Amino acid sequence: MKAAMYAIIKKDFRGVASNRRLFSALLIVPLALTIVLPSIFVIAIHFAPDDPDITKLLSLLPEAAQAESLELTLSGMVLNYILPVFFLMIPIMAASIMAASAFVGEKERHTLETLLYCPLTLKQIFRAKVWASFLLSMLVSLISFTAMFLVIEAELFFLMGRLLVPSVSWLVVMLLLSPAISLIAVTLIVRGSAKAQSVEESQQAAVFLIIPLILFIAGQFTGVLLMNVWILLGLGAVCAILAWFLLQKSMGRFTYEKLLQ
Amino acid sequence: METVTIQKLSKTYPGGKEALKQLSLSLNKGEVFGFLGPNGAGKTTTVKLLTGVLAPSGGSCDIMGVNPNTQPEKAHLLSGIVTEHAQMYDNLTGMGNLIFYAAAFGLEQKEGKQRGESLLKELELTEAKDRKLATYSTGMRQRLSLARALLHRPKVLFLDEPTSGLDPESAQNVNQMIHNLASKEGITVFLCTHQLRYAQEICTRYGLIEHGSLLASGTIDELRTQAFPSKSLRICASAVPEKLNFVKRRANEFETQIQDKKEIPDLVRKIVEAGEDIYSVNLIEPSLEDIYFALTAGRKEDRAI
Repeated sequence: MKAAMYAIIKKDFRGVASNRRLFSALLIVPLALTIVLPSIFVIAIHFAPDDPDITKLLSLLPEAAQAESLELTLSGMVLNYILPVFFLMIPIMAASIMAASAFVGEKERHTLETLLYCPLTLKQIFRAKVWASFLLSMLVSLISFTAMFLVIEAELFFLMGRLLVPSVSWLVVMLLLSPAISLIAVTLIVRGSAKAQSVEESQQAAVFLIIPLILFIAGQFTGVLLMNVWILLGLGAVCAILAWFLLQKSMGRFTYEKLLQ
Repeated sequence: METVTIQKLSKTYPGGKEALKQLSLSLNKGEVFGFLGPNGAGKTTTVKLLTGVLAPSGGSCDIMGVNPNTQPEKAHLLSGIVTEHAQMYDNLTGMGNLIFYAAAFGLEQKEGKQRGESLLKELELTEAKDRKLATYSTGMRQRLSLARALLHRPKVLFLDEPTSGLDPESAQNVNQMIHNLASKEGITVFLCTHQLRYAQEICTRYGLIEHGSLLASGTIDELRTQAFPSKSLRICASAVPEKLNFVKRRANEFETQIQDKKEIPDLVRKIVEAGEDIYSVNLIEPSLEDIYFALTAGRKEDRAI
């Protein structure tokens, strides 16, 4: 029944993508976070006077993080230690919009019953819903990453005459940690949407889940990035296992009757 | 061959409402079974139990040997379901919806499209196929739902008020289609309705339900015998011999109660032998509506006692 699940994923995905207003809203915040904010950082670094205090602060950094000039060191710091954090938040935000209405949205449009009459188990429907939101979050994340990378490198090249190579941690963040955290959030939100009575309720519950998660990530993650890439990898693996576990177990106790109530 | 079997099926909702009480029924292949009863009688609950979206509180049911409660996905592959609450996506076109559901039922894209197109043609929706569902009228939606339910060539079709919202022409068209599905393709149809006249047009057997209990079931003749042990015979004649116990209704119109239609020739013979002229002989057969009200009234009297 892979084809049937694929059909649901495609239908949900197109539901958001064909709604241009919703899709552009989905893209605007991530693009603002990843283009406008970093640009301000880079331009500020370039035009700011050399502050001895900052120089002193930067000298405390490990040698590996130091570049040939203050400007490049600071830009490297922004690129490799601050920006990856955004890519943990963006997929969660993007996915929450679609995930929050996964089940309850169908219920409000009276299409849930029809969907339940398809020859799929609840688990398969649940997984299809999770994958649809997850793929959307990854797409938004990928678009944001490409846009950010092109803009920042262009700015660095024109302002400082150099390009910066992103660190290995980017690879871990984009390929492991960000998808894993996004999957955890999506699974929890989709599960919430199966219990909710209205889309509003589901969205509010999602926000209640997302804000602490984002604050936690934003607050703690910059520190983690300064640590070893292996620790990052380990953390990613733990999150991925947790995501997989949640995806397996989340729909266990749901019945058609509960969903339609 | 039995396609749907229901044994002592009961459902009590969490709030304590007993929606279905020990219902036992069986449906044969190619039969159009009319499940009749007023709103809230338990018709939709029965359909939901048979399609596995509700879990029974007692008893069991199966569709061609598949228990919908334990294997709903298998039961769904065998059944097509049209209910008031099973709507489709407004943001997709009529055809788009059918293509999606065809894929969800495991049909190849090409096959799904072909099947969708032929069903749309049959249900006279071809012209509207590229319009978004949001622009469809209630009747068009209802017909599209029927197309959706038939996409995967189900063996059993559950229809909950399929012609509500349809204009007479479309209703006739849908009736014809249901009739053909049952008689030519051998699909078993489980049709819930409270429109008795409509049911009488297409059903081959009936089940009457009220307050979650089955009042009676059988063909219309069986139900007639149950509800009306005697039949009315109306004869238009110049006169009727008094000893035949006819009651005069109007000028030249006489009525009597008989137990069986085999009594008619003898009565006619006696009138003719008495030298009277006969203009017409009518056996008044109670309609499904008459039967329904007679049976429900009987039930009410029982309860009052």
